[in-house]
Amino acid sequence: MKRLVIFSSTLLLTAAVFAFAALAQAWNISGKYNIAFSTNEASGIFKTFKGTIAFDEANLAASNFSVSVDVASINTGNALMNKHAKSDEWFDAAKYPEIRYTSKKIAKAGAGYQVTGDLEIHGVKKEFTIPFTFKRAGNGATFNGTFKVNRNDFHIGKPGGDVADMVTVTIAVPVVKG
Amino acid sequence: MLKKLSLLALLAVLVGALSGVAAIVYQKVYIETIGEGFVNVVSIANMFKYALAGAFIAAIGYFLLSLVLKGKTDMVFNLLFVILTFASILYPIGHQLPLDQETPELFPGLAVPMHFFPALGWFALKPLFGKSI
Repeated sequence: MKRLVIFSSTLLLTAAVFAFAALAQAWNISGKYNIAFSTNEASGIFKTFKGTIAFDEANLAASNFSVSVDVASINTGNALMNKHAKSDEWFDAAKYPEIRYTSKKIAKAGAGYQVTGDLEIHGVKKEFTIPFTFKRAGNGATFNGTFKVNRNDFHIGKPGGDVADMVTVTIAVPVVKG
Repeated sequence: MLKKLSLLALLAVLVGALSGVAAIVYQKVYIETIGEGFVNVVSIANMFKYALAGAFIAAIGYFLLSLVLKGKTDMVFNLLFVILTFASILYPIGHQLPLDQETPELFPGLAVPMHFFPALGWFALKPLFGKSI
């Protein structure tokens, strides 16, 4: 009986240690993030960004992102442009209130990393790879990334026209240990 | 000619100053009622700067028109001033504010009326100069 208790305890402890080791570090998004976009005609930010982030440079397999942006929080600095961007001609914020990104795989890429996952904008979901860097600083860290999105892939606006098809997106997300 | 130019310059200064004061008062009222005054963009210095610039441009325009139109200057100038003032409201409507500025939809409500102040000031003060200008 005593041996069984010791064996069970050891097994449980080992399992707990391995389970803990398999989880990547959870990070909480701090309020000073910047989700910005720019084209030849317009630029702006999304003011509301939330989600869960688990990331460990030493354990990329267990790392994952699930984040979303509130479309209605778009700010171009101009009221008419904000209204236009939220309309059904562009993001259709009433019908598609969120832009979502869920990671499927994270890999090392040069000095930084790249995450491949599902990007859902305007009701269209596509696999999308985002390059990013991760820099630790004390108890926190910052994710930075710049990439281009073809708005036509997500049926945002009409193809061609004054606004360029490729939209440059810049993200800077400071995080603290969760 | 020199007297006319001096009086037009004086009128421009008075119109600019009056418009600047009116803009400050309107901004205070706007802040009290709406809760936002865009003080970083619409600063006191900017209000006076643009009001004086508008008044001086109007004065130069009036002077140039008077050289051509003589007795019909006021009629044509007033009409032009109103049309250009209306056209100028496109600027605050299309203006892109800093991205950290909240509620940009409230900006035209503050800035558009201010664009009418130089014209109002001109129409209020110009008659005081009689036929000297």
